[in-house]
Amino acid sequence: MALTAPGQLNVNESPSWGSRSVDCFEKLEQIGEGTYGQVYMARELKTGEIVALKKIRMDNEREGFPITAIREIKILKKLHHENVIKLKEIVTSPGPEQDEQGKPDGNKYKGGIYMVFEYMDHDLTGLADRPGMRFSVPQIKCYMRQLLTGLHYCHVNQVLHRDIKGSNLLIDNDGNLKLADFGLARSFSNDHNANLTNRVITLWYRPPELLLGSTKYGPAVDMWSVGCIFAELLHGKPIFPGKDEPEQLNKIFELCGAPDEVNWPGVSKIPWYNNFKPTRPMKRRLREVFRHFDRHALELLEKMLTLDPSQRIAAKDALDAEYFWTDPLPCDPKSLPKYEASHEFQTKKKRQQQRQHEETAKRQKLQHAQHGRLPPIQQSGQAHAQMRPVANQPIHGSQPPIAAGPSHHFGGKPRGPPGPGRYPSGGNPPGYNHPSRGSQGGGGYSNTQYAQGRGAPYGSGNMSSAGPRGGAGGGGYGVGALIYLQFGP
Amino acid sequence: MAANFWTSSHYKQLLDQEEVDVVQSLDKDRGITLEDFKLIKMHMANYILKLAQNVKVRQRVVATAITYMRRVYTRKSMTEYDPRLVTPTCLYLASKAEESTVQARLLVFYIKKIQSDEKYKYEIKHILEMEMKILEALDYYLVVFHPYRALSQLLQDAGLNDINMTQLTWGLVNDTYKMDLILIHPPYLIALACIYIASVLREKDTTAWFEELHVDMNVVSLLKAKLCERGESIQFLLLGSCIEFVGCCNF
Repeated sequence: MALTAPGQLNVNESPSWGSRSVDCFEKLEQIGEGTYGQVYMARELKTGEIVALKKIRMDNEREGFPITAIREIKILKKLHHENVIKLKEIVTSPGPEQDEQGKPDGNKYKGGIYMVFEYMDHDLTGLADRPGMRFSVPQIKCYMRQLLTGLHYCHVNQVLHRDIKGSNLLIDNDGNLKLADFGLARSFSNDHNANLTNRVITLWYRPPELLLGSTKYGPAVDMWSVGCIFAELLHGKPIFPGKDEPEQLNKIFELCGAPDEVNWPGVSKIPWYNNFKPTRPMKRRLREVFRHFDRHALELLEKMLTLDPSQRIAAKDALDAEYFWTDPLPCDPKSLPKYEASHEFQTKKKRQQQRQHEETAKRQKLQHAQHGRLPPIQQSGQAHAQMRPVANQPIHGSQPPIAAGPSHHFGGKPRGPPGPGRYPSGGNPPGYNHPSRGSQGGGGYSNTQYAQGRGAPYGSGNMSSAGPRGGAGGGGYGVGALIYLQFGP
Repeated sequence: MAANFWTSSHYKQLLDQEEVDVVQSLDKDRGITLEDFKLIKMHMANYILKLAQNVKVRQRVVATAITYMRRVYTRKSMTEYDPRLVTPTCLYLASKAEESTVQARLLVFYIKKIQSDEKYKYEIKHILEMEMKILEALDYYLVVFHPYRALSQLLQDAGLNDINMTQLTWGLVNDTYKMDLILIHPPYLIALACIYIASVLREKDTTAWFEELHVDMNVVSLLKAKLCERGESIQFLLLGSCIEFVGCCNF
């Protein structure tokens, strides 16, 4: 343990109030990188404890301390639960800092502000994307139960997360799952009927009511995202990978049927319903498409992916679902296998190579560009059936091959060999690529700019090709994306 | 507000009157007495209200801003933290924390409009700089519970939720922010004390209801006494209900 040199401030002492200096921590390595900030793995000098430091970037901010950071801090300071990431403290750095390039930080006010979080080894997406990774059914149940428990706690405390997605679910090597990244979260109250922004939640996990422009909504929005994650875990890949809002809605309607006044009373009054009303009748095909799923899993999924938010299952009721109480039961988190820490930033090289493979594969119009995630080990040998495409899903290869976002700098690199041909191409789903796995995307701890009311609306224009997994970040400690935040009255 | 008051940082941070009534040594050196200290804070609370009326934010934001300001001065001196800057900055920060964001330039515009005194003239950069210092002084605890929610629930429970009583008690609660009560007492007690005063003023018999609540009536009377003792400083009270205040001090 390092000792403070004579004459220096005693950085080890905890003041009774105010914040300690970031010098109380030794930065070990950067584990997340966004266009706008960094996340570090660090060791507290005094205790040796490993933590994650997420920097709150202050330059770029015309309105002082970012409101998204205020929301996150406010909310995290009052949530204390084993399935919610713990904000340990906030530390400041005393003077102007130099960033990695050695340029002055540009912060007029103070050095920097860091949020100190408990350290987590993985995030769900990162873990699922490990080559050859295959979750067992008890493991999926275990993660799902923890996700729902944490979310139920948030909802009871009147907090909407508003960005539930795999990369915001952090997992440690004891199998514990914690909700992270509350940068888009906010409090809601049942009696107030406040207008909230509908530009939240990463596109693929965004519920139909938000896509249709609803500004009065509640906890059900998070439950839709949970449903998407659940299906993704069972299916082996994201189920609604839309590239913009209209396509997103179309994908939802193709699977869940088109909304009408029968299955969703009041839907025709939602602002943009008439703009997006499907021109042809669309039946709900969820049961058909996922007929190979376990019966109880399908039953629960049906309730989560219910179009009408008022009929969608709540976290509390989902925890009571048969699924969690029938064999095989959810396993004990501690019994789960331990995996080598997989932070995107640390495994950048490896990933980059892989991305090059994907890139090349896409270029060659191979339909199985991605190293596909494996569906869970299931009772019956249906691995192939599980890879069946969602019918009518447009071929994804039509997506621009090179993401347009500034974060992707691999465009001109030499091409690697074609992607791993894990699945025979005939009749297989279009290779699903993770657009956000650009240079900055990926699992672990990323950090994105705290958008303050002027980020690009998500899923539109240039952002769409950067992918909803988080334009520049996507990691649990970061804000997934620039999302236009509109403030309540 | 979400979450439970009893598990909140607000509850854990409640102070004793003696802890609040501490003039920082730097201020003492400049000759600021406890009485001055209280008056400056009251004056600043009024300043916050005046600014808030101009930038048009909810009462809740005003209440949170005043609470921040009062919390800051339990830890920081007025010598180092100029109240004329701390005040608008607290409003600025509270407007974010309460989801009613006010732009810094708008605030600066109204500061210039309201205050002719050069010493009040701070610019955006000063506010943003002070914001960081205030956040630190508050230890980033930004959630404040206020008596308003408890007030409406209690009024309903007591069957006193007519427009007259609602307005009177609401005004009384607003006035409690002229003092440090929010740092010392849980919000529901402040609400109760205001209901008590109002019921005395309006000659409503609420004794039975209060007894049923099992609240510590000693505390309620103490609060009431504190509210009334401010009668002497009535010139600082700008709200309409200050007249009622004088009334309540006479019985």
